[in-house]
Amino acid sequence: MTTGHSIKVKNATKSYGALTALNDFSIDIKPEKFTVLLGPSGSGKSTLIRSIAGIEKIDSGSIFLGENEVNRGPINVAPEKRNLAMVFQDYALWPHLTAAENVAYALKRRKLDDHKVGKRVRDILERVGLGEKGANYPHQLSGGEQQRVALARAIVARPALLLFDEPLSNLDADLRERLRIEIATLTRESGATALYITHDQSEAFALADRIGVLRAGGLEQYDTPENIYHQPSTPFVARFTGLGGSFTGSVVEVVKGVATVDLGGSFLRARTNEKFKKKDVVEVLLRPTASKFAASNTKVGSTPNLLAGKVLDTAYRGRGYEHLVETKFGPIASIFDLKQRARGTNCTIEVDIQASMAFPATKKVE
Amino acid sequence: MTTFEHSIPIGARASSFIRGKISAVTFFWFLIIALLVAPIILFLSVAFSPRLLDQGNAWFTFMSFRPVFKDIFYISLLHSVALGVAAAFFASSIALTVAWYVLRTNTPARKIWNGCIFALLLAPSYLIALGWERIFERGGVLNIFGIDLPIVRNLLYGPVGMGMILTFKGIPFAYLVISNAMRGLGEEFEQAVRVHGGSRWDAFKTMSTLLLPAIWSGVAIVFAETISDFGVASQLSSPGRFSVATFTLYRAIESIPVLFPVCAAVSVVLLALVVLALLAQSRALRGRSFRVLSGRTRPISRQQLSLRSKILSSGGIIFLLGITLGVPVFGAISASMIRGLGSLLSNYSITFDNYIRVLKSPLLRDPLIFSAKCAAITACVAVVLAAISSRMLVSTKNSTSKKLLDFFLLAAVGLPGIVFAAGYIFAYNLPIAQKLGFHLYGTVSLLVLAYIATALPSTTRSLVGNMNQFQESLSEACRVHGSTAFRTWISVVLPLIARPILAAWCLTYCGTLLELPVSQLLFPPNHAPLAVGIDRILGNYDFGGGTAIEVLAIISALIVVGIAFGLFEALAPKGWKQLGKAHS
Repeated sequence: MTTGHSIKVKNATKSYGALTALNDFSIDIKPEKFTVLLGPSGSGKSTLIRSIAGIEKIDSGSIFLGENEVNRGPINVAPEKRNLAMVFQDYALWPHLTAAENVAYALKRRKLDDHKVGKRVRDILERVGLGEKGANYPHQLSGGEQQRVALARAIVARPALLLFDEPLSNLDADLRERLRIEIATLTRESGATALYITHDQSEAFALADRIGVLRAGGLEQYDTPENIYHQPSTPFVARFTGLGGSFTGSVVEVVKGVATVDLGGSFLRARTNEKFKKKDVVEVLLRPTASKFAASNTKVGSTPNLLAGKVLDTAYRGRGYEHLVETKFGPIASIFDLKQRARGTNCTIEVDIQASMAFPATKKVE
Repeated sequence: MTTFEHSIPIGARASSFIRGKISAVTFFWFLIIALLVAPIILFLSVAFSPRLLDQGNAWFTFMSFRPVFKDIFYISLLHSVALGVAAAFFASSIALTVAWYVLRTNTPARKIWNGCIFALLLAPSYLIALGWERIFERGGVLNIFGIDLPIVRNLLYGPVGMGMILTFKGIPFAYLVISNAMRGLGEEFEQAVRVHGGSRWDAFKTMSTLLLPAIWSGVAIVFAETISDFGVASQLSSPGRFSVATFTLYRAIESIPVLFPVCAAVSVVLLALVVLALLAQSRALRGRSFRVLSGRTRPISRQQLSLRSKILSSGGIIFLLGITLGVPVFGAISASMIRGLGSLLSNYSITFDNYIRVLKSPLLRDPLIFSAKCAAITACVAVVLAAISSRMLVSTKNSTSKKLLDFFLLAAVGLPGIVFAAGYIFAYNLPIAQKLGFHLYGTVSLLVLAYIATALPSTTRSLVGNMNQFQESLSEACRVHGSTAFRTWISVVLPLIARPILAAWCLTYCGTLLELPVSQLLFPPNHAPLAVGIDRILGNYDFGGGTAIEVLAIISALIVVGIAFGLFEALAPKGWKQLGKAHS
């Protein structure tokens, strides 16, 4: 089994003309962990992964793989010397080589004899379900098969670091799910450190040991998936990792990390790490799981965390229905129920304190 | 514990990497400067500073430009520009249409059309002009058969004739560039148009847009080639009728005393025109991405033509190749097989004697062998340099080095060969060149260096379209999977552009084999290149012998091209060959 690289990026900055892709970026990734960098387009995640791969060179700061500094000033260790492999968004399979030849290419650095190369290529192609398609050229394979070849090529040489540059973004949902599982399994089996970038939060939560959320070239939060979800450090992180709704109101009181917020007649109680004063304007963000329908006879009144609304839309989700409800303070999405509520039906929504978060409204920049 | 493949300290690796990179870059730039920059700059500087090269008294003056905008020079320049625009437009339009039919439809005899385009490429413009002359001149082939067409003859020795032949000559340049790009263009774009309600014509327009880098490259190359052409000018231009800039320049160089400052001034103006055209090309394409060749590219399916369309398309191509290739070939072959053509004999007969004479006589045969050797060396070196240059030009990094290279190549592509050769004479005759140990004047080495320098810009341009289609991630994938930059080139870049490189090699070989202007000014004593040999023989009114060498030279070039592509088909791995291939 391979021993994985640790990755340390210190104060990395990278610009393309007037555009700053990485802005004093730092991160410390432990070996053999599966880290996912999550962020919107332009957040710098591709630049970061390409700099770690050695394809790009940072303008200032430094990058360490294990104990070795691979990029700082004029030092820039060539990609082929970094003992890593990468799965590209567009697969980057060489069209003049067959699937087996594409995979075997990555073994050249290991200087194995032909017999061993052949065996390892066959084994890995078998492992990704392409045992019969080794002789096919890339154009003779489907998108999912091409990405499997790219995955096999990346892991066959057992590198210390596996980089994934949005590898599933060109695939359909079903394939994405299946390949996601294969990536998770094969990567963990290999023992390599994995760094995976995506803009899809469900992919990030499904794969990661740790998630780094990037924004405008900086690291917004780096933590376990659970902490990212339940204790987002900023409204940006909360929004990017999934929201059902958001409301603005003023603080009534804060007791033991729970803020009571007046939305204008109705009250919401939400978790917070901030030291709010009374009447501070705040934003309450609700996770998609925060809201559910209250019993039909529930009176809203001044009871906290109960909101009156009307069903605007409904969507079938297999095991039940998701609803979009309009309240007088704003819409709430993803309210799940086994039963379908008809569009236009009046209802009462109950909001879970644990899945509600209050942030200062002034910090809202996105 | 993190493991690296080698135990060399990172710092040492980095510095040796930097040293290696610097020395390779330095060597590349040394070649570019020695081949292109120094001769060009030194020669052009004569226009502004005649004293620098002992061509006058002034250190800095614009006086050399005065004659350029007066009388014959000015008119010649206008004629050249008009011909350049017309030839670029017609040649690119025709090339795009032919490439479409040959590569994207099931029109019959596609391989033959492809071969004919290559044959047209082989024929230098002066040979095409000679072929037409042999047929229509007074006492020419048609006259022998009792046909006289003075109207056609008059048109031939004027703008119509010159424009026509220069358009013919431009077609293969544009065709090669466009067809290479078309091979890399998968059919999914075409299908996307059709499934969204577009007609075949809409699909053609969309594909043309995607092919714009190649089309613009084609237009720019044809324009540059046309205004730099000396071959047609040397045969059909004359001061009294329709003069073009290169012919006027030639006369100025041949006059005594030689007006080099004026020649340089004309060159500066010609160069400026070409650079402006090519800058317009790069400006028009700025910000557009046409990278369409990737691992996901699928082979194209040919459009199935109806019988009527097949007949029409074949008829069109046959007509086109008939007038571009058939007429001059008929002229050359018939002239080479007529005993006594050009003499005052009145009893002419059909014979192979001229060919036997050429094959037996070293005097007639040696120029062909000498030029074949020079052309092979030139093609090999030029293709290597062009591949590196074109890769640098399409690099996403907007470095100064890239901008400079682009500028020098643009500048060089516009320089007429005869002026380029004059620049070589200047540069390598300077005292400083002698002091540095470059004793090259009058040697075969200088001739070959000049051939390489004149071939490099157009060879580079012909590869840029393909390099543009090459997705960066393919070579990045190589690097992250353990390949050095060099091995990445050998194992991925080269296979993916092997066919265009082979085409570029053939293009350079054929162009050099029959090259006229550089050969005429730089040929070393006792080593007459082919064009000089033919010119001498025709100058002695041995039309039969001269045209027989022409025919043999073209046949030999066709054989070389055939062998090159035959070897590629026989020896290249299957994966290399299937790229850009269509399935019927």
